[in-house]
Formats: sequence, structure tokens, C-alpha cells
Amino acid sequence: MEIFRNMWRRKFRTFLTIFGIVIGIFAFTVMGSMALKLNKMISGGKQYITGQISVMPKGASYGTSTGTLPIDTLNKISKIEGVDKVGALASLLVEDQNLDDASMSMGNPPTIYGADNKSDFKNRNWETMDMREGKMLNRDSKDDEIVVGINIATDKKLHVGDTYKIRGRDFKVVGVVNKTMTGPDDYVFMAITPSRELLIESNPFMKSLYESGRLKLDDVNSMAGVSWKDGYDSEKVSDEIKDKFGNDVSVMSPVKMGEMIDKASAMMNAIILGSAMLALIVGLFSIVNTMVMSISERTKEIGIKKAIGASGRSIAFEYTMEAGIIGLVGGAIGMGLGALAATIINNKMASKGAEIFLLQNNFLVGVIIFSFVVGIIAGFFPALRASKLKVVDAIREL
Amino acid sequence: MEKIVVEARGIKKTYKMSERNIVEALRGVNIKVYEGDFSAIIGPSGCGKSTLMHILGLLDRPDEGTLEIDGVDMTRLREKKAYKMRAKKIGFIFQGFNLIPTLTSLENVVLAGRYGGLRRRERFFRAKELLTTLGLKERMNHKPNELSGGQQQRVAIARALINNPAIILADEPTGELDTKTSLEIMDILKKLNEKEKKTFLIVTHNMEVANSCKKIIRLRDGKNVSR
Repeated sequence: MEIFRNMWRRKFRTFLTIFGIVIGIFAFTVMGSMALKLNKMISGGKQYITGQISVMPKGASYGTSTGTLPIDTLNKISKIEGVDKVGALASLLVEDQNLDDASMSMGNPPTIYGADNKSDFKNRNWETMDMREGKMLNRDSKDDEIVVGINIATDKKLHVGDTYKIRGRDFKVVGVVNKTMTGPDDYVFMAITPSRELLIESNPFMKSLYESGRLKLDDVNSMAGVSWKDGYDSEKVSDEIKDKFGNDVSVMSPVKMGEMIDKASAMMNAIILGSAMLALIVGLFSIVNTMVMSISERTKEIGIKKAIGASGRSIAFEYTMEAGIIGLVGGAIGMGLGALAATIINNKMASKGAEIFLLQNNFLVGVIIFSFVVGIIAGFFPALRASKLKVVDAIREL
Repeated sequence: MEKIVVEARGIKKTYKMSERNIVEALRGVNIKVYEGDFSAIIGPSGCGKSTLMHILGLLDRPDEGTLEIDGVDMTRLREKKAYKMRAKKIGFIFQGFNLIPTLTSLENVVLAGRYGGLRRRERFFRAKELLTTLGLKERMNHKPNELSGGQQQRVAIARALINNPAIILADEPTGELDTKTSLEIMDILKKLNEKEKKTFLIVTHNMEVANSCKKIIRLRDGKNVSR
């Protein structure tokens, strides 16, 4: 109680100090939640990418395919030593992007993910999906059946049994995937044949080739997913594929891709959190300043306490705790405001399935504990100085 | 045989203000205080009264000499242990009361009890008992700025007594009080001495206060010149 009364002696100064912490923790909460969301998305993507060797047409990078892989290439890949299964994939956007639309989204654009359901190929890290409604596509699924991700289902208000028109064709929803916080939330899963057909329709050049008979449907593949046999090194199998096809294909090996993702993720986290930490450091120094001034004003009081038997340790503890509580109060308010802001923005973006922030209880609790610790650290050295004050000198202070 | 509560031998203290300006505040002071004494230390301004009080109260250390309080040699005591002795063996009453402004009367007294190692229930009980004895039953929840000078000094007396110290050191206890209140305070101290055998050592420049004490220790130029 004495600590709270001491804080209240200089209300305005205490308020300003707490406000500095509020700003820092607010920024930390918001940026940290954004980093959590991005990390979650990235980890999901990383899981997928590192669960298979991805082979794409020449010049393509992940998610942007300008050409196709012929079926012959996939067949040749399947014969390479160490390769277990090869799965054909055809993907394109659900809708063509409107370049005049200046809005930004943190999520992926809705994407058609066409896979050969009759193939035995499986991604090592991504074998089953948790379904909210219905069931996932399988060997027996029809070409007009689709499974949608949660963001698409929310945006288009889709449930099992509903019809969803994609690029002029009607599809029947047979399943809705539960929230993954990653790519599949924005996917439409369908059989490979209709996805190939839609891909051809979307590309006039491809369409003319197809109509003239110079392009076969089976040859329209955005990517091949390749699994490796047990006991084989995925990197060596990737190198074998590269050696065989040279520059005709882009091969993304799981380990190298994982490392690239980790580096990019680490850099992104450093930028996001580093900027928040700067705001927090400003708050920390405001506590230091307040404690130094407070101790200077209460030097005689410290002397009196020591004269009547207070140990240096108890003096240090008292002032350190005062600083800690300033940090705690500022942290609780800053965290509350940050969580509120993130929730409001997320709610606005939810209809588009593009939440920006991930609020986790352990992170929020951790933020409050962290702000208390920051306060303790800020107050420690001023408190240590206070504990070492000579009694007789302190009492003589006017 | 009378018990010696405080024995100081050959106490010297020097302050070095600058290379040329060295002040010998105490130049070999010898003092004995017995249990139950009600003694005053008097002397002209600058004779070393406050310096001696600070050393006896373990607020400062002598450059030379020995000091025993309640049979314990305090001379080489480091600050890490000195605070315990201050809490348990010595009660301090200051001229300017020096109460903690954010605490109530009760809390000010309880605080000293906490430093003295009393358990929570005991320190509250003793604090209330002391404040009631000193006529402050209705003022326990008042802060110092809500009390008169005399009331504040009574709170300070209660604070000095809560740990049942071997000696109570009072540095000009009536210095900031009017005549009537000064007499009241001295009356309280005398009663504590007579009825409860509390040992007092009072620094004062007020001859009326000095004359009301049983013994007088005179300091001059940093030495005890009492006969």
C-alpha cells in the first residue's frame, strides 16, 4: 500500500511515466500479435513446403506459375532413384485480381488447389485436414465436388450442399476445412481435371493451344509434388531431379526451402519486434528517470528509514518494486488497449478472412509479466543507489 | 551493580572538508550511560553533540575509539549488521519528528516494529498500545500533516519505543515545539524513565531541558568536560 501511496505523491509524473510504458507495451502487443499471425502462416506454409519436393515449370517461383509441366516430365521424375510418388497439381486464383483495387490483404488471395485425388502422392507433413463440415475429397469424388477453406466459406457464406460458381462453373461444396491460420484457409480444393480446365480457360494462349490440339489436358500442371522413399535424403533426390532436367524446371528442396523460410521469418520478426522494442526502451528510460528523481526527493525519508532500522536490502526492494508496479500498471493498460485494437481490426477483416493479428493468452500474459520485469530492471540501479546512501548524509538533506 | 548500556572510549571523528580545512569534531570522547539514566548532552554550537549522537546511534562510524552498546562491541560493525542493531537496540527521536509523510501514525510506529523483527500481530498490538498510552488513540489513522507538532513527537516517541530498545537517543526533541508542548514532551520522557526504567540520552542546547535531566554530560571542542 505504501508503494501505491508513494507513486501517487506525484500524480502527474507517475501518470506520464505510466503513459510512456503504455505506448511501448501497446506497440509491443500489436506488433507481437502481428508477428505471431505471420509466423503461424509461415509455419503452416513451411510445413507444407518441407513435406515434399516441389517441381515447377522453368522460371516459376512458389505460387506464381507462368508455364506448365508436361505429364511426360512427371513420369520421368517418378523413375528417378529415390522418388516415391509424384502428384500433379494445377492451381490458379479463384478470381482474376483487379489491379485497380488498391486494398491490401494480409492473407492469401482465394486460390484453386487442384490435385490428382487418384494419385497415391502424399505430402509428408500434410496428410489430413481437420474438417469443420463434410469430408475431404478422395478417389471417389466427382469432378464438380469441392472443399473450401474457412475464409472462403465465411466470405461467401458457404456450407456443405451449397453451390459455388467459380469462373462461370457451378461446383458443389462437400466439405469445409477448419481454421488452419495458413494457406488452406483460402483454398478451394478440387479434382485436377476441372482445375486444369479452368486454368486453360483463364489463359487465352493456353486456350488457343488446347483448342488447336497442340496442348493436352494432362500436360497442364502448375507444379508436381514429389515424395521421397524412406532412407533417402530429400536433398540428394532434389539434386538428382535438377541434374536430370537442368534449367527446364525449378526444383525446391525441402531443407533449403526450410532454411530460406527460417531466415526470412527471423528477419521479419526482428524488424517487427525490434521496432516495438524501441518504443519500449523509451518507456524503460522514463521509469529510470522517474525513479532517480523520486529517490532524490525522498533521500531524507530513506535516511529516516535506515536510522530506525531499515536494511539497504529493504530500501532497494521497496524502490525496485515501485518501479516494477509502474511497469506492471502501464503494461496491463498497454496490453489491454493493444489487444482491443487488434480485436477491432481483426473483426473488421474477418469477413474477408484476412485477420492480421493472432492474440494468444500466453503471449498477452507474457507481455504483462515482461512489462513488470522491465520496470524492475529500470528501477534496480536507482534503487541500489538508494540502498547505499549513508544514513547520516541522508538525514542531513533538507 | 548498575548495568552499563552505552560505553564509548576515546571516540574521535574528523571531517575533511578540503585539503586545508579539516574539522576535528570529536577528540577523544569518553561516555558511560547506565541503565535507567536520564542524561543530557549539552555544549555550545559546534562542540560535536550531533556527531556524538550519530556515532552512538550507529548512524556514523568513529575514526578511532571503541563503542559498546548493551555489551556488544559496535566499533567494527559493518552496515550490513548495523541496521539490525539500530532497529533492536536503539530508539531514535529526532528534532524534526521525521515521520514518514505517507504513513499514518499507526503505520509509522508499525514500520519500526517491522524493522525490529516483530511479528505482524505483535507489532500492531504494541503500536496501538503505545499510541494509546501517549494519548493518541483517536489519532492513529491520521497522517503527520494532520497532527500538531506535539502529537507528531509523541508518535516519534512511540516509534522509538516499539522494539524495547536498550537506549533512546533524542536529538533536540523539543527543538521545534513551543514551551508548553516542550514541557509535555519532557514530562512524557521523564515518566517513561521513572516508571518503565527506560534509558534516555538527550542532546539539547536548552538549559531548562538539560536541568530536568538527572545527569548532564558537557561537551566542549569535541571533548567530554563533565566532572
